[in-house]
Formats: sequence, C-alpha cells, structure tokens
Amino acid sequence: MIHFVRRKEVTHGHAVRVRLYAVGLSLATAAIFILLMGLDPVKVYSALVDGAFGNEYRVSETIKKAIPLLITSLGIGLAFRMQFWNIGGEGQIAMGAIFATFFALNTPDLPQPLLLILMLAAGMAGGAFWALVPAWLRARWKTNETIVTLLLNYVAFNVLIFLQQGPWKDPAAHGFPKIANFGPNAVLPEVFGVHAGWIIALILVGVLYIFMRHTRTGYEISVIGESERTALYAGINIRRRIISTVLLSGAICGLAGMVQVSGVAKTLMPQITANVGYTAIIVSWLSMLSAPVILVVSILFAALLEGGAFIQTAFNIPEAAANILQALILFFVLGAEFLVRYRITLKGVDVESVSGKGKEAV
Amino acid sequence: MQRVLAVMVAIAFVLGLTAVGCSKSGAKSDKIKVGFVYIGPIGDGGWTYAHDEGRRFLEKEAGVETKYKENVPESPAAEKVMEDMISQGCNVIIGTSFGYMDYMENVAKRHPDVTFLHCAGYKTGKNMGTFFGRIYQARYLSGIVAGMKTKAGKIGYVAAYEIPEVVRGINAFTLGVRSVNPKAVVKVKWTHTWYDPAKEKDAAKALLDEGVDVIAQHQDTAGPQQAAEERNVWSIGYNTDMNSKAPKAYMTAPIWNWGPYYVRQIKAVKDGSWKSESYWGGMNDDIVRLAPLTANAPEGAKDAVDKVTKEILTGAQKVFQGPLKDQTGAVKVKDGEMMSDGDMLKFDWFVEGVEGKIK
Amino acid sequence: MEAQRVCVAMRGISKVFGKVVANHNVNIEFYEGEVHALLGENGAGKSTLMNMLAGIYTPDRGCIEINGSTSVFSSPADAIRHGIGMIHQHFKLVEAMTALENILVGERTGFFLSQGRRRTRVEEVAARFGLWVDLDRRVYDMSVGEKQILAILQVLCRGARVLVLDEPTTVFTPQETKNLFAIIRRMKAEGCTIIFISHKMDEVMEISDRITVLRKGETIQTLDKHHTNPRHLTELMVGRAVDLSIERTPVAQGDLLLEIADLVVADDLGHDVLHQITLQLRAGEILGIAGIANSGQRELCESIVGMMKIRSGSVLFCGEELVGLETREIIARGISMSFIPEDRLGMGLVASMDMVDNVLLKSYHHQKSVLIDRKSISDRCRTIIEKLDIKTPGVHHPIRDLSGGNIQKILLGRELDSSPKVLIMAYPTRGLDINTCHTIYDLMNEQKKAGVGIIFIGEELDVLIQLSDRIAVMCRGEITGEVDASATTREELGLLMVGQRNEETAGEPA
Repeated sequence: MIHFVRRKEVTHGHAVRVRLYAVGLSLATAAIFILLMGLDPVKVYSALVDGAFGNEYRVSETIKKAIPLLITSLGIGLAFRMQFWNIGGEGQIAMGAIFATFFALNTPDLPQPLLLILMLAAGMAGGAFWALVPAWLRARWKTNETIVTLLLNYVAFNVLIFLQQGPWKDPAAHGFPKIANFGPNAVLPEVFGVHAGWIIALILVGVLYIFMRHTRTGYEISVIGESERTALYAGINIRRRIISTVLLSGAICGLAGMVQVSGVAKTLMPQITANVGYTAIIVSWLSMLSAPVILVVSILFAALLEGGAFIQTAFNIPEAAANILQALILFFVLGAEFLVRYRITLKGVDVESVSGKGKEAV
Repeated sequence: MQRVLAVMVAIAFVLGLTAVGCSKSGAKSDKIKVGFVYIGPIGDGGWTYAHDEGRRFLEKEAGVETKYKENVPESPAAEKVMEDMISQGCNVIIGTSFGYMDYMENVAKRHPDVTFLHCAGYKTGKNMGTFFGRIYQARYLSGIVAGMKTKAGKIGYVAAYEIPEVVRGINAFTLGVRSVNPKAVVKVKWTHTWYDPAKEKDAAKALLDEGVDVIAQHQDTAGPQQAAEERNVWSIGYNTDMNSKAPKAYMTAPIWNWGPYYVRQIKAVKDGSWKSESYWGGMNDDIVRLAPLTANAPEGAKDAVDKVTKEILTGAQKVFQGPLKDQTGAVKVKDGEMMSDGDMLKFDWFVEGVEGKIK
Repeated sequence: MEAQRVCVAMRGISKVFGKVVANHNVNIEFYEGEVHALLGENGAGKSTLMNMLAGIYTPDRGCIEINGSTSVFSSPADAIRHGIGMIHQHFKLVEAMTALENILVGERTGFFLSQGRRRTRVEEVAARFGLWVDLDRRVYDMSVGEKQILAILQVLCRGARVLVLDEPTTVFTPQETKNLFAIIRRMKAEGCTIIFISHKMDEVMEISDRITVLRKGETIQTLDKHHTNPRHLTELMVGRAVDLSIERTPVAQGDLLLEIADLVVADDLGHDVLHQITLQLRAGEILGIAGIANSGQRELCESIVGMMKIRSGSVLFCGEELVGLETREIIARGISMSFIPEDRLGMGLVASMDMVDNVLLKSYHHQKSVLIDRKSISDRCRTIIEKLDIKTPGVHHPIRDLSGGNIQKILLGRELDSSPKVLIMAYPTRGLDINTCHTIYDLMNEQKKAGVGIIFIGEELDVLIQLSDRIAVMCRGEITGEVDASATTREELGLLMVGQRNEETAGEPA
C-alpha cells in the first residue's frame, strides 16, 4: 500500500534532486513508448534537441516561440501572485493584437518608431481592457474570475473572427477571409535575427523582478495574495490594488499579442494566440511565479514544442504520438512538484529511509 | 541561485541570437524527398485525407520518400515546418492549403534549389508552382443527381466561406440541378469554417428545417452528411467517398484524386523538366471525379451522369457556358459565350436558382 | 491505580526534522486505564511524540510496543487498528457531513452492513461512554464542545482503546471543560487509557493520574500527581525556578482614551454581528474581554481599526470620531491591533514572507523612495528579536518555519514597536507555553505603566481575572456584563459568557 505524507519542510537540495529524478524518469518512460513505435530513443531525443537548438535558424525559431510564452507567463504570473486566477491570457493576447492591428491598418504611414510605440500602447490597452471586466466583477461582486476570464477568451476570439471576415477583410485576398499584411512601418525590426520582441521580453523580466521585490506596489500584491485580511489591516486598498494589478496583468498579455502581430505574423489572424494563454499557466506555475525562472522555463518549454514538431517530420510519426511524448515529459515534471512537497511511504516502510537518501528532508 | 541561473540564460540567449542568420542548412542529395504540409489531421476523412491518399499513391508509383506534418496552422509556424522538412532532406514541398501561400513564398525565396507546390493559391515563383482542380465539373455532375432526387424542389448547400472557389462550386452544382429540374432551388448556409463538424452539422439541420430534402456541402467534415442521415433524407458529399459516414443518405460526391498529378510533377522534378506553372486540371486529367453512385441515388441518374461525363471529357459541356443569368435574372454570360478562367477565378455572383447572399 | 499493566510503551524514540531535533531518546510507558498528562513548553516535542504514536510520523529511531509486541505504523489508519486514536486540536471532521456520516466515513469493514445496524452500533458506543451527540446534526452546526465529543466518539467507534487528546481545552468555556473531564473519567472507568497533552497546570492537576514532563525533546521525569505540585512541575518544564503569579500592576487611571458607544456592525452578508456595544477604555488600564470563541471578538477588534462596515454608533479616540476613517489613518493615530486567530497566521502576518517583510507591513507606506528600503527594517527586527528573545535562524527566514510562540512574538514586537496609545490584543498567548505567556503578561504590564490603554481579549479566565482591571463579557455580539476583575469569579464570568444565568445550557453554541 502506498501513502502520501506531506513533508514538514523542503530543503533546496532535495527539491533539485527530485526534479532531476523526474526528468530522468520521464525520458526513460518516453523511451519505452518510442521503442514501442519501433524507433531509437537516443536518435529521437537527439533530434528533439536538434530540432530546437540544432542550428541558428532553429534557435531563432525557438526563441520566437518563447517570446510570447515568456511575456504572457509574466503577465498572468502577476495576477496569480495575488491569487487572482487569470485564465484569460488567450483573450487578452487576442485583444492586444486587435488593438495594435487597428493602428497598423489605419495609420500605416506614421514613422516607424511612432507607429510601433502607438501599437505597443494600444496592445497593452487592449489587454488591460479585456482584463478590466473580470477584475471589476471580482473586486465589486467577488465573482469567480476563473470562469469570467475563461469565457471572455471565446468572446475575444470571435471578435477577431468577426473582424477578419467582416470589416477588416482584405479586399485583395480573392475573397479569402484574411486581414491585409502590415506595412513595413508596423513591423517590429529584427535585432540579431529575431524580431525586437525579445528585447521587450527581457526588459519586462527585469522590470517585473524589481517591481515585485522592491516596490511598495509589488509588496502589497504579495500581501494580498497571502492574506486579504492582513492586507486590509495594513490599510491596503484591496479593491483598487486588485483592479490595477489585473489590468497590468492583462496589459502585459496584450503586449504579447502586439509582439505577435507586429513581429511574427505581420498581420492579424486567429492563429495568433496559438494556445499561448493556456500554456503560460503551466509555465507560470512551474516557475513558481518568479520572473527569472519564467525566463528559463519558457525557453525550455518552447524548445519542447519546437523539438516535438521537428521529430514528427524527422521520423514521420503522427502528431498524436509526438503529443504523447510531450505530455509524458510534462507529466513527470509536473508530478515532481508534487513529490517535492510530499513523501511516498510503502506500507510500514519509509522509502527514502531505506534508500538512505533524503532523510533530512522528511 | 535563481539569479545566477537567470543571468546565465540571458547570456546564452544573447549569444545564440548573435549567431543567428549567418549560415543555412547545406547537405543535399540527389534523391527526391517530398514534404507534405497538411492543414488538418489525416483522419479527417476529407480534404487532408484525400491529399494523404495522393501522397501514398506517389510513394508507391514514383518510389520516392515522403514526409508529412498534420495540423499545420496557416501562420508563420508553417514556415518552420517547411524549413524543418528541407533540413531533413526534402527537395519538394507541397502545401495543401490556401493560407500557406505567403509563408511558402518566403521559404521558396530562401531555398531556390527546392521545388514548391502550393494548392489552391495564386502566387507563383521561379521554384514555386500552384495547382488546383476543376472540381466544379464534378459538382455539376453531383447537381444532376441531386436535382433528380429532390421531391421538395429545394436543396441545401452547407458552404464554408464566400470565396470564388466556393461560389463557383455552388453555381456549378446549381446549374447541374437545374439542368434536370429547372424549378429547383439551392439554399446556401455559410459556416465560416472549413473544419468544424458540430457547426457544419447545425448548419445542415437549419437548412433541413427550411424544408430541403437533399444536403450538399463544401466543407471538410462529414457533419452535414450525418445531419441528412439522422433526418432520413439524402446527401451529396465532398472530398472523398463518404459512404461509410452516412450509408442511408449518401448518394455520391465530387472527389479529389491528387495522386496522378503528384506523380507527374515529381517525375518532372526528377528528370529536370519541371517548370513553374499555375495548373488547373479537370476531369480530363483525372484530378477530379464523381464518386461511384450508391443505391441511394435516383433511378436513371447513372445514365444521365455518364452521358454528361462524356460531354465534359470531349469538351462539349463546359459548365459555365452561356446563357448564364444571375439571381436577378440579368444575363451575365450571353448565349454561345464561355466564361474565361480568369472570370471563374474571381466568381463573386450567384447564378439563378441559388438562394443566398455573398457578403 | 487499580491496574498497573503497561499497554503502550515508547522506547528510545528519536525524531529529527531537518536540523531540528524534535525528540531525542524518549522513553515513556502508559498504563491501562490511566489518565496520563504530557506536560511541556511549546516545542518540547509533545505533539511530535504523539504524532508518532498515532502513525502520522515514523520515528527515526526507537520502537513502539503495544501490549508487549513491537509495532510499526505507517498511517493513522494503522495506528487505529492497533487501538490508538488521536484527537487533534483542529478536529479532522467533514463540516458538510452529519455526525453519523463522519463516524462511518472511512470505515473499511461492514460494507454490507445496513445503515441501521451501523447506527445501532454507534449508539451503543455512545451510550457506554456517555457521549451524547445528535448523530443527524451537521458538523458546521456544532459548537466546539460538540465537535470534540464527536471526534472522541469517532475514534472510539473505530476501536481505539488509547486516546490521545492534543490540547483539548484551548477554546473551551469552563463548563465545556467540566463536561469533557466527565467524559474522560467515564472512559477511564471503561478501561481506556487517555493521554492528555496540555500546558494548563490546573487542568493537568485536576484530571491526570500521572504526569510526564518533556523538555527540549526529552523526557525529564514521570511523576505521580499526588507526589508533585504545580511549582515543581513548572520548574521541570522550564528547567529553572519561575514565578507563576501574574501581577496586576496598580496604576492610577488616566484619561478616557477610547469611548465606544452603541456600536452596531454588520458582516459582508448584511447580518448584524455586533449589537449596541458600549465600552470605555482609559489610559493605563487593562480592559479584559471574555467570551466563548466567535462571540464577536474579532469583529470588535476589526471595527475599532476600521476594517468593518459600521452601521451605527461611534468610536471616539481622545474625543475624535474614528468611524469612517481608513484603517491606515486609525493606525496612524496610535491604535494598534493584534489578533491571533486559531491558526495563528490568518491575520496580521504573512506566512511565506520573512520577518523583515512582516515588520515592513505597518511602515512601508511611510517610505518615500521608489524602491522599498529593507535595511533600516532589518535593524529594527534585530532589536525586536533581542528584546523579546525571539528564536529565528535570521531576519530573512520565512516566518512560517518558526514555532508558534516565536511567530506571535514577532507580531507583538511589531505592534509594540510603533509605540501605540491603545493596544488591542486578542489571544496574545494562544498556544504559548507558560514561560512565554509570562513574558507577554510582563510586556502588557509594562505598557500599562507607560500609560497605554489595553484591550485584552483572552480565553483563559484565570489569566483574565488576574491581569485585567475590568472585564467585559461578550456573547453573540453583545456585551452581557462588565465586572470588576478583582471581585469576580470564574463561575460568574462563565455564566455571562453563555448569555444566561442558567447552568443547564452551558454547553450550547454561542
């Protein structure tokens, strides 16, 4: 019989060890799956890495994938810090993209720096606007923001579809529902082979790190997340802080939308969000909401996605099989977070005592 | 610890970027390897399935190696997929959806030594050709079957988008219907999706509620077929033989037969005779067909279809030949005149007998 | 002592958490049919030891013998199969279920037994031990006392013969305590062994047969009740002689500081939770407030500092109206409030943050710079640590990892650091050991001498009586009476606490 026992304290070394075991175990299990498909696990794994980092082009593609993930994870992580479950990253990205696109389509002849700054501001405003509704509902009526933010994703998506098929449809596209490509001034310039979104993302990592740890507002957010009554006692205006933080969270997600339309797609399309809003939830949690860790995890996550796509064509395996591989790896890595906090005992036997390891962490 | 890690990654990030954009993948072999970029899953039983049948036919007939990737979005992600395939040794890339056009054009410019074939688009380049089939011919034939079958004189048509390709199909189908049943009308419902079984099925149901007794479709799923099956009426499929999806309703379908075209193209690439072109083949090239009629089809339909098929093959029946009237009854193509390919590719009006609107 | 047969023995038990030695070579024997008290300061290792007996932890070293044979438990279910059941401070009951469902849930045997037969069995057990509880009542409708009885019935129904009660009387009225003791005597008469963890000396002396004192994770001595006295026990616990009496410092009473008149307060749902509260507080006095848990104490505290919506009435501070002011403004005028909830961390502190960030809570908004200055706060923390003798690995250690006593000291230290004029202290010694309690009482008296007005909300009546100048009693959001502390008795307070002068209803929920 197996029991799970909560650990009284978690040491750093222990946590690292469990996570390393998990990665090892996930690779081993996935290897069995690969063998069952009649392929060589070593080859598949090296192709996975090769597909994500194998040459400069792939590195730049992986980074391009990581950028929206990173920005969005930072955005929703901010709300998570306050125990506000912003599942609406997807919708906020879409709204940010829509707002930014408005200026790209309507004022394409502004000087590039001006137009890009305008689009940046518009993207953030769009994301914030989309976060305003759940924030206000939660602060005012204590509604469940998980549901409100989730449902607003679909609304945002359909607004985008409407624009694409209606008012913003490109007349030159032979009837195809497509929005016109942006003019050159609305496109983020490339720096070192990748659009400048990576600079925005890195700046954001630094700013948010300092914001959360060294500013009064960041401090208040942490207090609210931990205990609303304590925050009340400290004289924090909780309603105002919730609304402003969620707006900021939405604005950052909207920024991701702007970066995607301006840097990657160079137009607005329904595929712009590409599930980033949902993937970012996992990234945020895996990173324990810490900005520098989010940076690392989003790159690794993007690599997993890119590598996973690469092995599909490399070995001609169906998409479903590649998805299973990715899911197996994720399953173990997420499972490890559970085992960092809990200890398994078999009937009457403390597994770790027997193995002689991890005793200090019981 | 966290901080150190973050700094390390940031450095790696920047170093990685500085190196980007300098080199390109090199190793090429003389062997032909073809990469297929699919919009949907192979198991869709429709558009992608038809292309994958073509791919398997190609492997068998031309003896070349192929690769494929399913569910590739019509976004810049498609570029990465093509690049991956090229770096894995592909020297022919086939993209099977309109939305890949711009991305394929980008990749084609970067890889002049690779041949690109794009389905359903209009952009070509030195190493990028476009191809499509005159499916409207088969749709005309399917219209004959539907026109003979309908008792209500009303036929429903579930359609994806208001693009020339779809409009052309509806018009051809309607002309086929009216050739045997001059008073029948074709009601159109737009779904604004290519691949959404539930939505397409709902659209078919809405049409059935309006009293139609045959359902036709320009969609990539069998949703409309199932709606017809449930209501005990009749249906015309699309893309592939959909008999198994709605055995009691399905009569026939205009279907794709990409295999022979692929084989011809790859052979041309092999012997160096390939040239970029905008290919638009019809039943003469066997790229489109009408699927075999089932027992659900009306009596005499087979003979009628066979007769018109012969006319199409000989060129006696062009489908879009005058006189053609639009919905208002105004003559758009005079008697004795033909519609040019250019006009057909820009189709933005419905022929008489269609009930529906193009936005 | 009728039977002297050893039913449970713990031999050479050691347990280490990280670098902290919780138990070291503990040896202890429990007899059949005895009430055995475990006495010790916070962090002495009482709870860890009992958690090992109850199968929640596994000892690193040593063994547990049940009726002479060595046993290893890997789970509480294992322990209960060996006849050992533990009743925790926070009952592990499912609030939404009825009493009967709580008892039957998790029972493995009797899958095919009908509900009726299982009920009969539960009723038999209840009757045998005199545990009167309405089996169809849902737990959320129950008072703390009733929950306790239910928890005991639950482990008895699962066949426990050895019961561990972890500080069972912490939130009880004197009447509820009396009731519990009657049950304990009944169980003892039925041959059960009761292990009673407490640091309330008078209760230990009243109910137990033998007493084992633990200090710093080790057994110091096991004594017969008749051969010891509270002073001796306290010296064993603390390791040196201590003064047990609480001093009531007589101070000339000063000006009227706080004047609460006809205060009516509603909760979020609009229900009145405080009715017509009228209280006065002078400089240099301690106003005690007694009452059963959740009688409106928290609401009173929060109302004064502006955290709740006040429907009517007034709160005057030195003649100035506080109603309508922001919490931050009220605190800035010199009113400090510290409320120790049952989980000790719910309010006033942030568990995952370090001491610096917690002390920062009350002063960060005074800082002018863009970035928070934590340096000066660190220095203040060190002063507080020194002054209150707080044991912590450092000012940057998450306070969650500290012991309850040290966490509370941090909270008090922070509140005192702001030199308030009015000090509201709710349950400041909740769960603390005697030694630390006295430190806090001394601190309160010190503040009183300095002219601070103190509202002291407590649960131990003896302490309230000894420390306060006046005592107001709350019940169901009302003040049911105000008495002179030097002239009142426990019984008088107990009756006011239940809002009626009728002995029979003493156990009812408030």
